[in-house]
Amino acid sequence: MEGVLKILNEFEREGKVSRYAIGGAIAATFYIEPFVTFDLDVFVVLPQTQGVLLTLGPLYRALESKGCVAKGEYMNIEGTPVQFLPAHNPLIDEALEEASEVLYGETPTRVLRPEHLLAIMIQTGRPKDRQRFASFLEQVELDAGSLQAILERHRLKDKWHEWSSQ
Amino acid sequence: MNPELERILAAKTARRERLRNLSFPDKVQAVIELQKMVAPILRTRNIQVEIWPDEPLANKDNLI
Repeated sequence: MEGVLKILNEFEREGKVSRYAIGGAIAATFYIEPFVTFDLDVFVVLPQTQGVLLTLGPLYRALESKGCVAKGEYMNIEGTPVQFLPAHNPLIDEALEEASEVLYGETPTRVLRPEHLLAIMIQTGRPKDRQRFASFLEQVELDAGSLQAILERHRLKDKWHEWSSQ
Repeated sequence: MNPELERILAAKTARRERLRNLSFPDKVQAVIELQKMVAPILRTRNIQVEIWPDEPLANKDNLI
């Protein structure tokens, strides 16, 4: 996975993406015991181009020029299927902005904070998010103040009460 | 509680705690080992999945 992160760092330096952070199951695995997943979710802020709709096209073309192959909704980078998810709502924008800087071996990268991951699980609301939600509550020491503020800002408190009471 | 059951539960808790505290590359390798176990089952159901390449930064001894 380090090769993927090196390419992402390079693309960020070159302005092909404005910012990126690991989300989804692999970000969750950073905080809890490992569980199976087959894709690496990477949230990205795409560079602003005046008057042009933001698309993943330029990023995909840049990756293809490095020998990566698009397959369905994934881009295969050095054998790892990576799904790029452009920031698409205020919660994701904030999660990307405040993502934690961590090291993968010696390669710097970013992982979404656990409080944001939990809020995204609640917002997304799939059955697998509910499973992860339970593991998170059991295994992660969350910053309660920060979590409550995030839930408040993004109007997720009702859903939080519903999920955490089950 | 039965002392034997108590010992087993304590060992399970300790193992989960150890897994939770693995390094990031070791955790990714653990995910890959799980992929290797699950992929054949998914493929029998015509769900095509790709197993990631082994993680060179991981210490596989930590996963035992």
